[in-house]
Amino acid sequence: MTPSTPVSGAGGTPLPPVPALEARSLTKCYGKLVACDRVDLAVQRGEILGVLGQNGAGKSTLMNMLLGLVRPDGGEIVVNGHPVVIADPVKAASMGLAMVHQHFSLIGPLTVWENLSLGEKGRIDADRTRRHITEVARRYGLDVDPDARIDHLTTGQRQRVEIVKCLMREPDVVILDEPTSVLTAAESVELFLMLRRVVQEEQRAVVLISHKLDEVLHATDRVAIMRSGRVVADRITEGATAMELAREMIGRDVSLRGGSAAIGHFEAPADTGRETDEAVPGDVQPTVLSIREARAVGPDGRTLLDGLSLEVRRGEVLGLAGIEGNGQKALGDLLSSVLSLSSGVVEVAGRAVETGRPGAMASAGVGVIPEDRHVSGCVLDMSVADNLVMGDLEAVSRRGLLRRRQVAEQATRLVEEFGIAVSSIDAPMRSLSGGNQQRVVVARELSRSPQILVAAQPTSGLDVGAIEYMNSRLRRAAEEGTGVLLISTELEEILELSDRIAVIHRGRIVGEVTRRQVDLDRLGMMMGGQAA
Amino acid sequence: MSDAVTTIAASAMRLSVPLAFAGVGEFVAERAGTLNISVEAMMLSGAYAGALGSSVSHNAALGFLWGAAAGLLIAFIHATFSHRLQANTFVVGLTLNVLALGLTNYLLEKIQMSPRQVGVVSIPLLSRIPVLGKPLFAERWPAYLLMIVVPAAWWAVYRTRWGLEMRSVGENPKAADVTGVHVNRRRRQGLLVCGVLAGIGGAYLSVAEVGTFNSNMTAGRGFIVIAAVIFGGWTLRGTLAGCLLFGGVDALRLALPALGYTINSELLVSSPYLIALLAMLFFARRVRQPGALAQPFERGAS
Repeated sequence: MTPSTPVSGAGGTPLPPVPALEARSLTKCYGKLVACDRVDLAVQRGEILGVLGQNGAGKSTLMNMLLGLVRPDGGEIVVNGHPVVIADPVKAASMGLAMVHQHFSLIGPLTVWENLSLGEKGRIDADRTRRHITEVARRYGLDVDPDARIDHLTTGQRQRVEIVKCLMREPDVVILDEPTSVLTAAESVELFLMLRRVVQEEQRAVVLISHKLDEVLHATDRVAIMRSGRVVADRITEGATAMELAREMIGRDVSLRGGSAAIGHFEAPADTGRETDEAVPGDVQPTVLSIREARAVGPDGRTLLDGLSLEVRRGEVLGLAGIEGNGQKALGDLLSSVLSLSSGVVEVAGRAVETGRPGAMASAGVGVIPEDRHVSGCVLDMSVADNLVMGDLEAVSRRGLLRRRQVAEQATRLVEEFGIAVSSIDAPMRSLSGGNQQRVVVARELSRSPQILVAAQPTSGLDVGAIEYMNSRLRRAAEEGTGVLLISTELEEILELSDRIAVIHRGRIVGEVTRRQVDLDRLGMMMGGQAA
Repeated sequence: MSDAVTTIAASAMRLSVPLAFAGVGEFVAERAGTLNISVEAMMLSGAYAGALGSSVSHNAALGFLWGAAAGLLIAFIHATFSHRLQANTFVVGLTLNVLALGLTNYLLEKIQMSPRQVGVVSIPLLSRIPVLGKPLFAERWPAYLLMIVVPAAWWAVYRTRWGLEMRSVGENPKAADVTGVHVNRRRRQGLLVCGVLAGIGGAYLSVAEVGTFNSNMTAGRGFIVIAAVIFGGWTLRGTLAGCLLFGGVDALRLALPALGYTINSELLVSSPYLIALLAMLFFARRVRQPGALAQPFERGAS
């Protein structure tokens, strides 16, 4: 299982090194959508290859094929020069391919050692597994307690467990999927230092999947850029600039300014654009949403909100920045009437709203674009028209009966107003692209003229065009007088849109800055929970 | 009075044994993520096949093998439909329950049989302990199998790799899958284990306790077993406690008229189910069920 040396030629003359892992013309289609289109990719031992691309560029599909989670439709996978078929994750592991998963590879109610013993063979030997964990953890300078239960760990700790789990199998190729999305800046730096050791001292190959330019620039040796299922560039990282990579990643026809939220272009905080808006004096406008000292506890006894207070005024965008899992979801749930508070007050337009009672927030004037729009934002198997009018059925019904004609009129009007590309208003929601599904949700929420619009991760999974539309729509909603609460883990998106920025950490607001005072370092510190 | 206690305790034990066999099986299936409602069908067909087998082979002990085989067959069908073809597990379970009831009734009329009954084995000395001796140490011999089945199940679920994988697919099948565990295979195996044990539990009713097979002999005991697992908070210990509780309620129901209390018999018949409901009312929210209980798993579906 130790990394083998490159194959030498018969006469002892070294051939060009055989890649540890190679994809040749790998293709995968989902119906009409070509997720991966003849992808060629190779990674050598001792190098870190960045795979850069936006959401939906085909990175995940590619990796899922390499790990045996998805069967390719064409092309081949070559490991150490031998073409192989990878039927399942077990096969992938036996070939030395291992992945550090971001979200779903650890089992909460089990302990660390039990988790790491899964996927091995033979008898369970708790002590041996514990020793193995400690040894691997020490080798890479990771602090991991083998007897801790996974669901008691923080996200950062869980990721360390994921890394140990991956490295315990002594893989030749380590694949990391968006590893820094849950980490603070400092933790990310630590991670990259460790990866450097993995490639230099142990001659493993590392594939780093990312959509963040700065991290690819800093951490990788070579970068392959994917766009619309194709590898559009494959180059040495040294000497590349963020601008060049961004251009390849989003295509030349999109302005960098518009795309900057999507690509994680960190260098230019969005001071471009709407200078005119600065003239709107925030404190003159009345407060439309006020949350004071909100506390809530989850069903498992975990604190979700810990004295959170915030205010959104009419006509402004308040950006709520923070690392995933710090209470954003609870806040979204609270404003969707899903979560009830144990103490604290929520006021919409000056009136207190009962928390947790279904529909209370909505009728008080809160519109929500939920984070998981496929699950709680719409009903995929119902028609576009039904989805559009669902928010306020009173308006399209009489004496408890739906008026089909009013439904159709309302739906047609919204489809036109929001430019929803759809063959017919009776088409099932499922048949729409992600961007158009999002438009349906936005159209429905805005059609009720809410006092406050909550947008949770509104652009995740959307393509650049859809992101630009989304952003302009949110701005317009604010200009028309709605208070917008933008909850996002993408700092760039927040910088681009917000008038004020609040930072959430462990269920409370730890700091607030106005747009003009933005200081990236300070924001980063606050997001990481350090007083700034 | 102590006579009455002994009688009721003995009857409670007797009535708990079939529940306990099936309960251990249901516990395994549920920890692997299947909320198996066809356990009723498994028990009923186990009871019928046990009676038929003992009649055909003129050997009561062989009846248990027949019972186990019938339970296994139901489990195999269930497992294939819900963890291979991804059919809804409740639809499959309901269908099997109705099918087993109809089929055993039909066969009962069609086939003449003269079932055997296994004998009582009293353990010397121990069975002569006052009050508790008889209930615990004078049972039809297959009851003593529980002394092997229970520790074996505990060991398999909590101490072996198979059991760890079993629990992991019940908690988080996606994570188990990317880690290299065959999710649906483990779930099918969990069901098969449940089938064998529930089949034995059913056969215990016919071949050990009563000595013949009656129409709808299990009369919802499978559902009581599901309630016992919930009552037990998805632990083996708790499941067995639940089986004992529900067996005890059943025994009281039978004993009350003999003790001179008259309560409407229809109401009495429903009492174990009422207790099961109450138990769930108090316990179902307090404990954590397996994270992926009753959620199907299909690779690649997000």
